[in-house]
Parts: sequence; C-alpha cells; structure tokens
Amino acid sequence: MTRILAYSLAAIVLVFAAMPVNASVEIGQPAPEIEATDTNDNAFKLSDHKGKIVVLEWTNNECPFVKKHYDSGNMQATQKAAAEKGVEWVSIVSSAPGKQGHVDAEEANKIVSDAGATVTAKILDEDGTIGKAYDAKTTPHMFVIDAEGNVAYAGAIDSNSSPNPATIEGATNYVSAAIDALVTGQPVETSQTQPYGCGVKY
Amino acid sequence: MRILFLALTLLLAALTGQLSAQAADRQQSPLVKIRLLPEKAAVKGGDALWIAAEQSIAEHWHTYWQNPGDSGTSPSIKWIMPAGFEIGEINWPTPHKLPYGPLLNYGYENQVVLLQQLQVPAEIPAGPITLSANIELLVCKEECIPEYGTYNITLNGPNASLEDNSAYIHAVQNKLPRIAEWPAIYNENDGKLILKLTPPQNILDSINLASIEFFPENWGLVHNPAKAESFIQDGALIIKQPRGERPLTEIDQTSGVLTFETNDGQPQSYSFTATQGPLKTSSPRQATSKTAGLNFFSAFIFALLGGIILNLMPCVFPVLSIKALSLVKISEKHPKLARMHGLSYTAGVVLSFLAIAITLILLQAGGAQIGWGFQLQNPWIVGILGYLLFIIGLNLIGFFEFSSRFANIGSGLTQNQDLSGSFFTGILATLVATPCTAPFMAGAIGYAFLQPPVISLLIFTALALGLALPYLILSFIPALQQIMPKPGAWMEVFKQALAFPMFGAALWLLWVLAQQTDAYGVTAALLGAILIAFGLWLLRHSPKNQKTRITLRIAAGLAFLGALALLPVCARPCSQPLGQDLTHSLISLPYSEETLQSALESDDPVLTEMTAAWCITCKVNHAVAINVDSTKNLITKHNIRYIVGDWTNEDPEITKYLESYGRNGVPLYVYYGPRDPVTKQRASAKILPQVLTPAIVKSFIEDNT
Repeated sequence: MTRILAYSLAAIVLVFAAMPVNASVEIGQPAPEIEATDTNDNAFKLSDHKGKIVVLEWTNNECPFVKKHYDSGNMQATQKAAAEKGVEWVSIVSSAPGKQGHVDAEEANKIVSDAGATVTAKILDEDGTIGKAYDAKTTPHMFVIDAEGNVAYAGAIDSNSSPNPATIEGATNYVSAAIDALVTGQPVETSQTQPYGCGVKY
Repeated sequence: MRILFLALTLLLAALTGQLSAQAADRQQSPLVKIRLLPEKAAVKGGDALWIAAEQSIAEHWHTYWQNPGDSGTSPSIKWIMPAGFEIGEINWPTPHKLPYGPLLNYGYENQVVLLQQLQVPAEIPAGPITLSANIELLVCKEECIPEYGTYNITLNGPNASLEDNSAYIHAVQNKLPRIAEWPAIYNENDGKLILKLTPPQNILDSINLASIEFFPENWGLVHNPAKAESFIQDGALIIKQPRGERPLTEIDQTSGVLTFETNDGQPQSYSFTATQGPLKTSSPRQATSKTAGLNFFSAFIFALLGGIILNLMPCVFPVLSIKALSLVKISEKHPKLARMHGLSYTAGVVLSFLAIAITLILLQAGGAQIGWGFQLQNPWIVGILGYLLFIIGLNLIGFFEFSSRFANIGSGLTQNQDLSGSFFTGILATLVATPCTAPFMAGAIGYAFLQPPVISLLIFTALALGLALPYLILSFIPALQQIMPKPGAWMEVFKQALAFPMFGAALWLLWVLAQQTDAYGVTAALLGAILIAFGLWLLRHSPKNQKTRITLRIAAGLAFLGALALLPVCARPCSQPLGQDLTHSLISLPYSEETLQSALESDDPVLTEMTAAWCITCKVNHAVAINVDSTKNLITKHNIRYIVGDWTNEDPEITKYLESYGRNGVPLYVYYGPRDPVTKQRASAKILPQVLTPAIVKSFIEDNT
C-alpha cells in the first residue's frame, strides 16, 4: 500500500486519469488476441495481421438488426469500401449451439456468398470465448483495430439504433468514419458508442 | 435471383411511408398491441393534455427502456401533427432488469404505458383534428423482432366529449418514478461507480437495502449485469457497482432510477440526477459537515493558531530563530528590505503549503485512501525528511556552509540581499514543518479534507499564514525587533546549540522509519546519513588544482546519490506490523471492519483506539490514560472489547473508519456503550477527546455503561 502511495507521489503529476475499467476492451489499448480456425479451415491469428486495419463484426444472420444492414446492402457496401482501403474484415458468430444464428461452417460460408459479403475470415465462436474477451454484446457489434493492433473504435455500426432499414440513410457510419480517419492518419473522432441490436446469443 | 431480392428490399427500405402498410399485415399477430389514448378528446386552444401509448406485450417477451442496457434498442414514437401542436418527452415508467446469459437489459414485460404531454396551440380550427404516431419498437424474447405501426388519435371528433381517459392516465402517473431532489453525486473508485444519494432521513430509514436496484440512463456507466452493493453510511445511501466501458470523463452528469422496497414491502421508485463530484467513497459526511465537530470559522482559527505553534517545533524553531536574528541585522539599515523579506518568506510558506494540499486533494479525488499524515506513512518521504533535518543540523553546527543561494539559513541573508533566499527559507520551513503538522494538527486538517476543495485550501492557507506570522510580524514592526537580542558573536554559539533539537527531530523520524521497516532499513538510513556527512565534508575542501577539485565534487555527488539509493532499502515493507508492542500490556484486537462489526454485534461495550507510531499525541494518550491500571481495570470490569487500529503505515480501512467520524488523522477514540439488556439497543457511539486523561476515559466509560 505504501508502495502504491510512493509511486503515486513520485509521479506527483496528476493521477486521476488512469482508472480501471470493467470491460476488457479499452480504446487505445491492445485488442485481445484471437486465435481460431475460420470457416474455410484456415488458421486465423489476429496478431498476424498487424500492419493492417482489422474490423471485427459480430453477426447473427437471423437478427433483424443484422438483416437491417445486410438486406439493405449497407454492410456489404461498408465492407467493400473497407477492402478497397486494404482493411481486413472478420465476421464472428458467437451464437451457442441451439441458439439463434448458430450455424456450421458450410452454412456460414453460404450466408457470406449469398449476401455478397466481403470478409477476410468468418469465425464460429460457439463457446463465446472471443465474444466474451471483447465483451461483445450485440449483433452487430463492431470493433476497428488499428495497424498497431490497438482498439480504435468499439460500438454500433452507425448512429441510428432503429431496426428500420430506412434509417440507414442519414445515419453516420462510425466504422467507415473510423477507417477513413485511420487511413488518413487523423484521430478517430467517435471512438466509442453504445452498440445496438440483438443480444449476442451466448 | 439475389439481385432481384436485393433490389426489392432496397425498394422497400426506400419507401419509408410504406412501412406502416407492412406493419399492417404484421399486426395480424403483433407481439405488442398498441393503443393510443388521449387524456381527453375534447380540447380547446391552449390546452395541455397527456397522451398514453399503451403496449400490451406477449407473454415472455419484452420491450425496452430509454437505456436498453447491453442490447436491444428503445422504442421511438414520431408524431405527425398539424402545425402548432407540440409533443413533450416520453415519461418512462420504472423499468425492470431482464438478464439474458451474460447480458442484462432494462425494459418492460406484460404491459407498459409511455406518456407524453401534448400542447395544443392557442388557435385551432373547428372540427376533428387527427394526430398520427409512427411507432417503432423492438420486442425480444431470445430473438428480437422489430414492429412498426402508425396509430391515430382524433381530437374534437363527433363523440369527443365522451372520451375521457384521465383516470387511467392518472393511475399511470402515480406509478412513474417520483422525482427525487436529493443531493446526489457520483464518482469512481477501484473500478466501481460510487453513487451517493442523500434522501431525507425518514425515507432512508424505510429502505430495505437488499431490495435496491439502480438503473442508469447513460450507457456504459456501469457493468449492467453486475449486482450493485448498497449500504447506508452516515445519513447517505451509497451504491457501488462495477464500472462500464465508457470513461467517466465522457459522462459529466447522469440520471437514473432507484427502486427499492420499504421495510414493510411497498415498492418505491425515484428518478434522480447526479453530478460527478469529488467523493471520498467512505466519507459521506461531506454533505453533513456538522458531524465533523468543527465549523469553518473555528477550524480556520485552529489552523492559524496551529501554524503559529508550529514555529516552536524542534524541526522548525532552529531554522526560524536564525532567520529572525539575521533579519534584525538588516532591518537596522534597511527596514523596507526587511519587510520585503518577510513577505517573500510568507509567500514561500503559503505556496508550498498550497502545493502540498492540492496534491493531496488530487490524490484523494483520484480515489487514494489517504489522509493527513500520509507523508509519514511513506518510508521514502520519512527518509528524505530525515536526511534533510540531518543536513540542516550539520549546517547549524557549522560543519559546512551552504554556498548556494538556496536556503541561506544563517548569515547569508545579510550578504546576499536576494529575496529569493527568503522565499526558499519559506519552502524549507514548510518542508521541515510537515512531519510536525501530522501529530499536532489532526483536528483542523481532518476537517479541512472533509470540505469542498476551496474550503480545504482556505484552511491550509490559514495554517501557512500561522506558520509565517511570527516572522512576518517581526519584519513589519521595528519595535519588536528592538526586543530581540542584539546580534553578536553569541549568535554563532546559539546557532550551534540549535543543531541539537534538529538532530533530535531527525532521530524521531528515524524512529518512525524503524516502525515501518526493520533493522536493515534503519541501518541503511544511518549509512545514508554517514554518506551525506562524508559528501559534505568532501565539499568543504576546495583545492587549487582543478582536477582534484572536480574529483572531490564527483566523489561527493556519488556519496549523495548513494544515500538516496539506500532509501529503497528503508522503504521495503515492514516484515512484521507494529501494533502488538503498542498495546502489549493490554488485551487488544487489531482493527478491521470485520473485527469491529463482530464486536458491535455482541452485547459488550467496545472501545476503539486509532493510533500511529509517529503520532505523539497518540503515544502520550496511550501511556497516560489507557495503558494505566485504572483504565485497564475498567476494561476488565466492564468486559470492554478493546480494538486498536495502527495507522503508522497507510491502511485504507482505518482511513475509512476515521472519515466516518469526520476525522482525517489520528488519534481517534470511540466508545460504544453496551447493549441495553431490555431493549437490546446499543447507545450511540461517543467520541472521546483527542487529549485524554484517566479521568476522562473513566467518565466516558461509566456514563455510558
């Protein structure tokens, strides 16, 4: 205890910033490692992708909010624009067996190709390990990880939490905005928002 | 095929207006049935009336509150109204917690009614007026389904005078959370949100603590699924819940709903707005400072007097008396310059006191459980102060002279008329005074830290002014200088004599250090002192040869560094806590919250003593009033459970206990009378004075037993 005091005094410079936060993902901090096998049986390790911006997207194909963004083509457009900027895109399904959105690898790949999605990898996270490491709460819940492997954005895909696809127009797409900022070396203006959507079916 | 599908959905999405049509067929079996009910249907210009949107939700499904929690989304109601009509915010009824796996949502099951107030413009056309609401909501069980619909109400229709829902709406309003205008502040500590509400006593007394639930309106404020911990402390309700993912810097005000059951089972719900503020988690006395026992004015006077008394402390007195004597020398020729010196000295004292106070306030705001005297709980600081006193002692005795301007304690001032010398003496006086303030200034400083920062700082300023006052007065009133003895050769002797109280003060710090560390630590500190003396001795020699001189300087520097490097050895944690030897002749229990709690649950009286090795008042009290036969007999006779808290080293539990009695330092003695054999009630705790005699202890025990 005295030691803690000694340190805080030694750094007499104002102490009040660094407060512990409950969630395991913190903006500006290293993203938790992901080691998994994707739906095409390839090994995926997040830290191998350092040097590139990586987007993590929690998804559940039966969730109306996921449908909002896929059926409208908004998610595909966001993915395509991201891919053109050299961004890697990882879709993660954390639905437990028997729960909504739980799929096997074959179904998962079919969902990707049917939707015309552009993803680097799709990962099935049946036991929710990855989801809980990121404290993923909703589908969609989006994370943007910068080239250094730090979390640059966490939260909703856009600024309108309505399930109504008509609200996509006029909403701010936070993921695209974060990618654009990172690519041009600007600070990410909105780095954390409240995710909206269906609860992840752990 | 896919393209066709996409095109179709896009088309659908584009046609916002058509969504109600889509809702129409969904409504064949909607999970949420919605009715819109105006308070009354017959209105005239300028009326204000409530509109209810009633959701009847299918069994096991739920809709959401304004903060949906971990997932989901809150409903939206968009009104389409003729010009001039205005609709107010939604009044949200008390939500429920809806757990799902590791997630938790805030929402409603079965039925919920959202109220909004409609303002009718002053002029309205004759005849029926139709208002429409596009309602969009998400209803979830495990899976979620969005539902959309457009609903109409007609005002001033043919049967308008018959439609009156005011009783229904009144009943809904009665169940809304009541607005609580209680003082409410929040902050975080140790990864937890701390919310402090101060409701009126009668409400506080009625709360069944186990039933408390907290619903934040802001997202990311708390970790939603975590259980809140609630307790009452000194007239305030404290709620702690692990923090959410959003930094508190982004949330500078929060609203929320508090629900609980009263002790007789009535559900209650209050909405409140809390502001972020400095909050010592365990000192809910901030709001009710009367319990601290001192008011601002008397604390100010105490601090001023305390500051004056500090001048007599063995660590401060030598520095100042030398300073005062040299002042007399200059004021004979330059009275104006003397006044300037007095002022710069005062500035040095005040500024350094404020710097210390601000540091402490910031540390406390940052959640550190520390109080005044913290400077002596840290072996590093104790070590450095010890060295400092030792160096000053060596200087006084004439072992070496300061050649730099800094801290010209003695004759330097007359030769060097630089005012910064006096300013630095002020800083030095503050530094050497800090070890002495802890034992003697507990009351005023304790009060200071329970106050808002501005008041704390004012009290510290008073303390600083007190310390600076004698010298300041002396520099301003030449008549007083006449009383001072004439400067002369005796001054050198006097100065040397003053070295001994200084060494005494250094010894005292060494003793404090001995309580915090072990024999190695003390040896390391003594070795450091030898190195310092050696280094200073090297510096006394100034050979002509430049090379030799530089070598000597480097060697001296190394010796000083060595002394500093030894401090970590002093600072290692003590292998065995003190406490036992403080009280070896009495059967005492070491303080912990649990020990005290279990003692208080018994029927026996309880006496607590909060002490520290570096607290002289504590040691004296213990020796003369507690560890004496008369008190020991009383303790045995009345079966008193005697609990001792040792605050020599930092201990958050003890800090918390001190704060719960409005104190920020030791000593503190509290006597809890026994339980009444008939009523089984314990009399309220009595705080004993800070200066004890056996008679005082006796009267407290006998009057309350």
